[in-house]
Amino acid sequence: MTSIETIRKKPQSILVLGNHPAIMQSILDFDFACRKKEPSVIACITANRKSLKLFFGKQEMLVPCFSDVTRVPKELGPKIQWMLNVQSGRRAYESTVAFFDAFPKALGGHIFAENVPEQHATELIQRYGKEKFIAGPSGVGLLVPGSLKLGAIGGTDIAQIEASKLATKGSIAVVSTSGGMTNELIRAVALAGKRVSFSLCIGGDRFPVTSLTDVLLLAENDPKTSAILYFGELGGVDEYEIVELLRAKKLTKLVLAYIAGVIDEAFGEHMQFGHAKALVAHKDESARAKRGALRAAGASAPDTFPEFLAELSKLPSTEIRDRVIPMSEFENRQKSILSTRQIVDLDDVPVFVKGKKLVSRGENAFVRKALEALLGREIKSEITIAFAEAVFELLIDHGGNVSGAVNTMITARAGKDLVSSLAAGLLTIGPRFGGAVNDAAATWTLGVQSKQDARSFVQERTKGGKLLSGIGHRKYRVGIPDPRVEAIAQFAALLKKRPHYDFARAVEKVTTGKNGSLILNVDGAMAALFLDILVEAEGYTETELQELIDAEFFNALFVIPRSVGFIAHFIEQKKNDEGLFRLPDELLYVRKSKKS
Amino acid sequence: MSRVKISEYRAKKIILGDAYKGISVHVDAKIKLPKKGKWVAKVDQGVKKRMKQGLVAVDISPQAAMRAFAKWKKKGFSQFLLEPLVKHAPEEEQYLSLERVREGIRVLHAREGGIDIESNPEVVQKYLIRNEEDIATIAKSSKLPEKFLRELIAKFDEDFFAFLELNPLIVRGNEAKPLDAAALVDSAGAFFTRAWTDSDIVKGAAKHPSEGVIEALAATTPASLKLNVLNTNGSLFFLLSGGGGSIVIADEAQLEGAGKRIGNYGEYSGGPTRQETYLYAKEIIKLLLASRPPAGGKKALVIAGGVANFTDVKKTFAGIVDALSESADALRVKGVKVFVRRGGPNEVAGLALMQEFLKREKLLGSIYGSDVVITKAVEDAITFVTR
Repeated sequence: MTSIETIRKKPQSILVLGNHPAIMQSILDFDFACRKKEPSVIACITANRKSLKLFFGKQEMLVPCFSDVTRVPKELGPKIQWMLNVQSGRRAYESTVAFFDAFPKALGGHIFAENVPEQHATELIQRYGKEKFIAGPSGVGLLVPGSLKLGAIGGTDIAQIEASKLATKGSIAVVSTSGGMTNELIRAVALAGKRVSFSLCIGGDRFPVTSLTDVLLLAENDPKTSAILYFGELGGVDEYEIVELLRAKKLTKLVLAYIAGVIDEAFGEHMQFGHAKALVAHKDESARAKRGALRAAGASAPDTFPEFLAELSKLPSTEIRDRVIPMSEFENRQKSILSTRQIVDLDDVPVFVKGKKLVSRGENAFVRKALEALLGREIKSEITIAFAEAVFELLIDHGGNVSGAVNTMITARAGKDLVSSLAAGLLTIGPRFGGAVNDAAATWTLGVQSKQDARSFVQERTKGGKLLSGIGHRKYRVGIPDPRVEAIAQFAALLKKRPHYDFARAVEKVTTGKNGSLILNVDGAMAALFLDILVEAEGYTETELQELIDAEFFNALFVIPRSVGFIAHFIEQKKNDEGLFRLPDELLYVRKSKKS
Repeated sequence: MSRVKISEYRAKKIILGDAYKGISVHVDAKIKLPKKGKWVAKVDQGVKKRMKQGLVAVDISPQAAMRAFAKWKKKGFSQFLLEPLVKHAPEEEQYLSLERVREGIRVLHAREGGIDIESNPEVVQKYLIRNEEDIATIAKSSKLPEKFLRELIAKFDEDFFAFLELNPLIVRGNEAKPLDAAALVDSAGAFFTRAWTDSDIVKGAAKHPSEGVIEALAATTPASLKLNVLNTNGSLFFLLSGGGGSIVIADEAQLEGAGKRIGNYGEYSGGPTRQETYLYAKEIIKLLLASRPPAGGKKALVIAGGVANFTDVKKTFAGIVDALSESADALRVKGVKVFVRRGGPNEVAGLALMQEFLKREKLLGSIYGSDVVITKAVEDAITFVTR
């Protein structure tokens, strides 16, 4: 079996069997509070999802999930030292055996379930009792302040980790069968101005894998531990193990114990208390008898809990230097509701035209064929091909925030297939999202044909607060240009005449005079330039342009590349697989319906 | 999780299979009993020392058995067993028990059995079964039939027995016949075996209705909810959390000499939901309101527990407040005060919620968080009810 000192010496890592986000988050908070560089939870075994979103400090992280221990990637295997088994009592045995079969070098673990059959527990003792360090079945786990938190032990909110000073290494070992009292004693140690060396909750089950004797010997052999704080209850004979160790001088460190259960004396019949062990069968299992035996062997076993705490405050302690826990890092953390990858780098917009010449980007047969298919004629100019390629490249994705991408991701998380998820995204394209290219083309055509000046055109078209397609952006404004617009605007330099583009720019001048955010947007710019290129490079007539507008051709320029982006988001969701999406309550305002 | 008694009938049916000819008789069920023969009638409700209490009748006719059942029914028993009489000499009686222990199965055997076995501990041989091979060795030295022992231990293991006592056990050559059997099974094994079910578990003495309510509620949640009614006219009522912490708090009452004033003992833990905590609290408030302490004494509710690891203080306190608000007027009229000490996740918000409510409803005795000793609330409550 490993020693407590080994655990302190190098970073520890945990594989969680089952899904208990609150306990996992508390472990990550403990790690962060201890200023660990890496979180100790490295993966989770759970069905129906491939990742679980948690925080490491303020930063969100995805813990990878696997359906089975055998599916944990080979490269993670050697890193896994601890098992945290939060599965039900029905599955605890088989999953523990599967864990140690898969990771025979692991040091031990904690089994959280309370209803593990006795027979399974004794089987686990036979298999692992000698070599592995296993807290439970039942209880709240193992804690080595500053180094390892394996389970709910010490609490699940950061305020508890702070109040109990769990980031600070100390000198008092806390041992108990009761999960709640383990934590009560951990806090009591901090309140007494001392710190915990390690703590293990043995659990209230009849057959804990690592026994009380094992734990006491770990404490005896731990150079950092100077005293042992023990909480026991009436029933069972565990405390006689302490007595024997003290008598045999195998345990020489100070033992301060509180044995609860004198309440039993107030009632004729023995009551079943909180734990299975607390059913008194013989006289010597009473709280009073066990206190007496402990005292006779040299331990301190006060009669009341306040006296016990007074004794605790008298225990020797070492000099304490508390690590300051950056509490602000844990405040106001708001979990994002979707996670995705950056599909394209939005900050890295390529150069398409340099010194009035196309930058050669190689022959693109697909774009040529696609354009010829859409337009129904042979493409004459390289400029047309290069422009379409530029547009396709720029519009593949615009991040995971936009409506279409969100709908694609939510549909994917509902377990739907590629085509359904893509369709959900595509069906979102319309007047407010992505579907304004064609409208912009119609606007510029109308403007050029009407021969109106931009100012009166704008005045006429925006009467009654109407919006102009191709104008306006939520993020970019005058002074913060849209890099995508800048990139495609380069194509204007390749054209002799560009009536649509010039008109669009003239309109922009008018609108930005009113509001800096009413700039020519990417829909407007690409519509204008494509119109000009079709006229100059491909010889399109006014009538032919109108046919394309009527057939909504210009929206295809968005739909084609964005389909790729939606599919990329879909694939990313399937990889993450965080389970069914549900909007958190705090993100939804629900108004009461009126009663009739 | 815990060891529970199953009926002698079920235990023997598992051990002996079809060879067992006993008849299980429930007080209200119509059962065709045999007309003649010699029989043994017993109460089958896990009662200890049945013979000494007169709850066994040996060598009787079926008619006499019926009369015995009627007599026991009057004493409040409802589950009986009728078995064919096995004629034997007293010296044929042996003692055998099996218990699951950390190292395997502990076997106690004595070639002299009978009801007085406890007064002759020196005749009892102790063995430990760690593996299959141990069984042959034990059969040899105990002279118990090996086939019987092997099958018995297989059943014990497969069917999640925790303890089994066969006393007396009649051994004749290769045959072994248990006359009486007492068995505890591991309730956590219920999911894994078909040999016994919940209906075979022996129900204890008649419970207080509130205990039945909480037991039914506990069966529907992974959280732990326990209740024992101790004194229906007590003055201290407990709404405690955590198995260990609840005992520490109850101990304090006993040490302060207020043990007899405790109305109930119990605990909730393991992260019950707001709704589950509401239902649990409601039952305890009902007990408190119904209680009539001697000489019109005062009553207090103690909501206390240790520093929880993962049970959310705010959520569980919200459930308690839900229950308290339903009876706030009745509690105030009776002059009940509420004393609180609790720590754990969302401690500050949970305590604030409780304090605000108790103040508004004029029910506040005192309220403390994890920076104050766990026993403080109960101490305050004792001062309040004894002053």
